[in-house]
Amino acid sequence: MAIIEATGLTKRYGHTVAVDHLSFAVEAGQVVGFLGPNGAGKTTTLRMLLGLVLPDQGSASVDGRPYVALPSPACQVGAVLEASSCHPGRTARNHLRVHALAAGLDPTRVEDVLGLVGLASAADQRAGTFSLGMRQRLGLASALLADPDVLILDEPANGLDPEGVRWLRDLIRGLAADGAAVLVSSHLLAEVAQTVDDVIIINSGRLVAHSPINELTAGAALEDVFLGLTGRDAPREVPS
Amino acid sequence: MIRGIRVELLKLRTVRASYGLLAAAVGLTAVFSIIESERAGTNNMPPLSTAAGVNNIITGGVWSLMFAAALGATLASGEFRHATATGTYLVTPNRSRVLAAKAIAAVIAGSVFGLFGWATSTAIGLGFVAADGYANPIGAGTLARYAAGHVVAAALLSAIGAALGSLIRAQLPVVIGIFVWSIVIESILGDLFNGLQPYLPYTAASTLAGTSLGSAAFGPAHSAGTTASPLPFAAAAALLAAIALAVSVIAARTTVRRDIS
Repeated sequence: MAIIEATGLTKRYGHTVAVDHLSFAVEAGQVVGFLGPNGAGKTTTLRMLLGLVLPDQGSASVDGRPYVALPSPACQVGAVLEASSCHPGRTARNHLRVHALAAGLDPTRVEDVLGLVGLASAADQRAGTFSLGMRQRLGLASALLADPDVLILDEPANGLDPEGVRWLRDLIRGLAADGAAVLVSSHLLAEVAQTVDDVIIINSGRLVAHSPINELTAGAALEDVFLGLTGRDAPREVPS
Repeated sequence: MIRGIRVELLKLRTVRASYGLLAAAVGLTAVFSIIESERAGTNNMPPLSTAAGVNNIITGGVWSLMFAAALGATLASGEFRHATATGTYLVTPNRSRVLAAKAIAAVIAGSVFGLFGWATSTAIGLGFVAADGYANPIGAGTLARYAAGHVVAAALLSAIGAALGSLIRAQLPVVIGIFVWSIVIESILGDLFNGLQPYLPYTAASTLAGTSLGSAAFGPAHSAGTTASPLPFAAAAALLAAIALAVSVIAARTTVRRDIS
C-alpha cells in the first residue's frame, strides 16, 4: 500500500515549471532515493508533499490524506528539509523541547533522540555554534522525536562525516525494516546505491525513471545511469 | 490552542533576544526616568511635589511599549529570519492557529514588558519624591490605573507587532519600522494633524499608560500644544485591539498562506 503518494504534481514559478505532472508512490518498508540534478524540483516536490508549498495542479498525500489533513502530522511524519532550520540562539535541547511540546510528546523523548543522534554531550550548546553535520543531526533528531512511520529527508547526509553517513544509512535501513516508508533525496549517489530499494530520478521537474535500483543500474554504476538519464553524461568543457 | 501558546512562550523563554529586549526596555525607562526626575522643578518643568511632576517621570515607562511591539514582531518574523517556520508549520500545518497562538503569546509577554516599564519608572519617580522629602502626590488608585494602562498598552502593541511580523516577515525592517513609526512618524503626523493624534496607535497606547497627549513623542509633537483630547481608557484599548485584529486578519489571509520555501 502506498504511504507517500504524488499524483500529477505541478508547480510553476512565473514562466518556470519547477515540477511538471510528477507522479510516484512510496510503500511501507521501502527506502526510495529521490534523485535529480540541482534545480530539478526535488525540494519543491518534498515541500508540496509536506503541505509547505501549494501545488498548481495535482495532489500529494501521506497515509491517504494531504499532509495538512493528518490528525497528528508531526507524530506520523518526520522530515528534514534544511539543516539550518533552528534558531541559532537556542540550545539543541531547547530546540527539541519546543518541537516535543508542539507535537504533544513526552519531554523524555528529547533526551532519547539527543542520545540517538549523538548530540547528548552538545545538548546545551547553542545551535549557532554547531557545524553543518551537528545541525544535520539536530534536524534528524527533530524528525525522529515522535518515532514516525514516514520519513521525508532532503539531503540528510550533507555535512555528515563518514561515521555519520554510515550511522544514517543504518538508521534508515533499520526504520524501513520496522515498516517505515522513507523518501530521501541526495546527491551522494554512491551512498544512495547502498541505502535505497527504489530510485526516482527527475529532471527539469519531470519523472525520468522510477524503478528498483538493481533493475535500473543492471550492474552499472548509479552515477553513470543517473548522468545518462539526466543528459549530463557528456564531458563538460573546462574553462581555460 | 493552549499548547500552541505554551510553545510560543517557550520559544521566547529559550532565546537571549527576549531578555535583551526586556533589559533594553527597563534600561531606557530607567535612564529617562532618572533624567526626568533630575529635571523636575527646573525649566518650567513641574516639581516632584506635584502630580504632574511625578506623571512626567512615569511617562518614561512608555519605552517598554515600543519594546513590547518589537518583541511581538521578532516572535513572528524571527521564524522566517532563522528558517524555523518550516519546522513550525510541519508540526502545526494550520497556519491561522499558529498566528493566533503567536498573537496571544505576544499579549502575555508584552504585558510583562509593560509591568516592568511601569514598575521601573514608578520606583524611580517615587524614589526621587521620597529623597526630596515630598509626600507622594499621586494616589494608589491612579498608580494602579497607570499600571493597568502600561500592561494593557504593551500587551496590545505586542500583538500588533506579532501581526506585523507575520505580515511583513523581514525582521529587521519590521523592528526598525516600529521604532521609526513610534518615535518619528507619529510625532510628525500628530503635529500636522492635531485631530488625528489621539487615534495614532503608539500615541493611544502611551495615553493609555498615563501620559498626556503628545508628551510621549520625541519629535515636533513633543509637548506641543494640542487641541485634541486623549481617548478614554476603554476607547484607546479598543482601538489598539481593533488594529491588532485587522493586521492579523490581513496577515492570515495573505502572507501566512504563502509558500514556505
